[in-house]
Amino acid sequence: MSDMTDGAMLAVFAGSTLRLAIPLVLGATGELVSERAGILNMSVEGMMLTGAFAGATGAVATGSPSLGLLIGILAVLPVALLQAFLSITLRANQVVTGIGINILVLGTTTLAYREIFGGRSRAEVPGFDKWHPPLLSQIPVFGEALFSQVWLVYLALALVALVAWTLRSTALGLAVHSAGSEPKAVEKSGMSVTAIRYGAVLFTGLLSAIGGCFLSIGDIHTFTEGMTSGAGYLAIAAVIFGNWKVGRMLLACLLFGGATALQFQLPALGIQVPNALLIMLPYLMALLAVGGLVGRQSAPAYLTQAYVR
Amino acid sequence: MTQTNLMAALRERRAVVLSLAAVSGALLCGLLLVAVIGVPIANAVSAFAEGAWGTPYALAASINRSLAFALVGLGFVLANRANLTNVGGEGQIAVGAIAATAVCLHIGVADLPAGLAFVLPMLAACIVGGLWGAIAGILKVKVGTNEVISSLMLSFIGVWLLYGSVQSVALLRQPMTSSGTLPESLEIPDATKLPLLTGDPGMPLHIGLPLALVLAVLVAVLVHKTVFGLRLRAVGLNALAARRAGIAIAPSIVGVFFAAGALGGLAGSMMLQGEQYSLKAGFSSGYGFDGLVVGLLARGSVTGVIAGAMLFGFMRSGGINMEMVANVPSSLVLVIQGVIIVALAGSARWMDGNKGGAR
Repeated sequence: MSDMTDGAMLAVFAGSTLRLAIPLVLGATGELVSERAGILNMSVEGMMLTGAFAGATGAVATGSPSLGLLIGILAVLPVALLQAFLSITLRANQVVTGIGINILVLGTTTLAYREIFGGRSRAEVPGFDKWHPPLLSQIPVFGEALFSQVWLVYLALALVALVAWTLRSTALGLAVHSAGSEPKAVEKSGMSVTAIRYGAVLFTGLLSAIGGCFLSIGDIHTFTEGMTSGAGYLAIAAVIFGNWKVGRMLLACLLFGGATALQFQLPALGIQVPNALLIMLPYLMALLAVGGLVGRQSAPAYLTQAYVR
Repeated sequence: MTQTNLMAALRERRAVVLSLAAVSGALLCGLLLVAVIGVPIANAVSAFAEGAWGTPYALAASINRSLAFALVGLGFVLANRANLTNVGGEGQIAVGAIAATAVCLHIGVADLPAGLAFVLPMLAACIVGGLWGAIAGILKVKVGTNEVISSLMLSFIGVWLLYGSVQSVALLRQPMTSSGTLPESLEIPDATKLPLLTGDPGMPLHIGLPLALVLAVLVAVLVHKTVFGLRLRAVGLNALAARRAGIAIAPSIVGVFFAAGALGGLAGSMMLQGEQYSLKAGFSSGYGFDGLVVGLLARGSVTGVIAGAMLFGFMRSGGINMEMVANVPSSLVLVIQGVIIVALAGSARWMDGNKGGAR
């Protein structure tokens, strides 16, 4: 790396920050919608893992990463429905259902992977190629390193913008927000809290599945057991650090992605910082944020509370 | 018997029946999966039984495992009495284990007489775990932070603190003698290891077992028979009314979180001093989360905590042996565990009679 200019190094850092942040961005955007509607969806980790596994398996089976993505999204449906049914219809404790589903998914995908692919092999799976957007990727120094990404990256950013706009300016956004802060008022206005919350959890599933697929068939073109390794929990931390607002959440994801990218970049620069510190940083930031040290926090009033008519 | 007593007794029985049904259903799922994988069921089952309770050593190992689940579960039950949800067990185990390791290796306690060699590290683990747990309580009282979120974040921070502490020689990592030196601490001195009940290394049950049982009784008494337990209940039911009645809410909340954290820290020291003897990355592979689940599924009952902890302890040990002997991936146990948790969490409303389970 010594022959790289500072600018080129920065460009590589920016590019890998974005690439590492994208699964978090997708998971966190979905999670934000769930939490705004009042559901602390701990199973976002399991949902991402389901997407990663089914996406990779689907890509191998069909030979096409696009069909793999579709299969990944479909496979997460039962997981999201289970989460919704337990936490909304049965009013089960949201934390424990989330942990249960995560354990269930980790077990199931690991078992299935060994049965389908045999052993712990890390076979290459068909994945998406990088897209070189015209003009953008021709910007000197930064263009190639920052903008040459799998198209899912651009989809993710578009989805974030769409969610931000929906939450801010549409009736649907207001309904989601009210389901988490004034559920009684939602019922009075003739809408169903249950329906809104089901929709929110399914939406989380959709985005988490895309995030998981990005990990397996977008980024590294392989599946490994438990490959999300806490990305879902990081997404939850990002939502908390973001104070349940889309803009700050996105910033948090990029910060977390940057912290991960630094783990690989700092040693290359000859700087020794304990790895554990960088990995811990996101959680520490989230804790400081909920501890009120980074401005006032305003969690949805009915977060983690089941709605009883 | 009054009508309410009768109702409570019926509900209790229904809860036991439902729990047993969930566990048997999940085990049945497991057997089905074994058949799908193509391993003869008899092989898998005998490997599981062998690993879980087949030999004195296996039995002791399973019980030692369940101690950690039980202690974290007890802490959960205690906090839940005040309607607080402690998700911080994993982090409390981690910081407790760090403290115990530091005291065992660096404070020179190994030469102390009369059992102090192994008692002091446990005490240090309790205090550090308790303080770690109390952070969630303090945040709750001072800023109104949702304790689920803060204790979850504290869990991850604790886990990575442990990871970091065995990466650096300046902290707890063993001296580097070659490039192959593993990132883990030195083995703790023999005097700091927990004494075995039988003195026979083939049956490594240690004094953690009677200690945990005593603590279980203590928690049960504390929760159900003391003024402190009543106060916790009052705080949990209606904080405003409790304050009007003159109960100091803030100390109750911080105190109960300290107690839960101390139990978690103690679990960490028992895992270190009774089982693993050195600190390494991945020291606790989710023991704190399993303990949390045990506590939640017990729904306030100390007997339930003990039963759940035993179940999870046997399943972990049996699963590991099943992978080694019968070639059944131990992830099968995760599937079974997941099914049990999901089934019991989903049926909580029929067991409790109140709406929405623990919270």
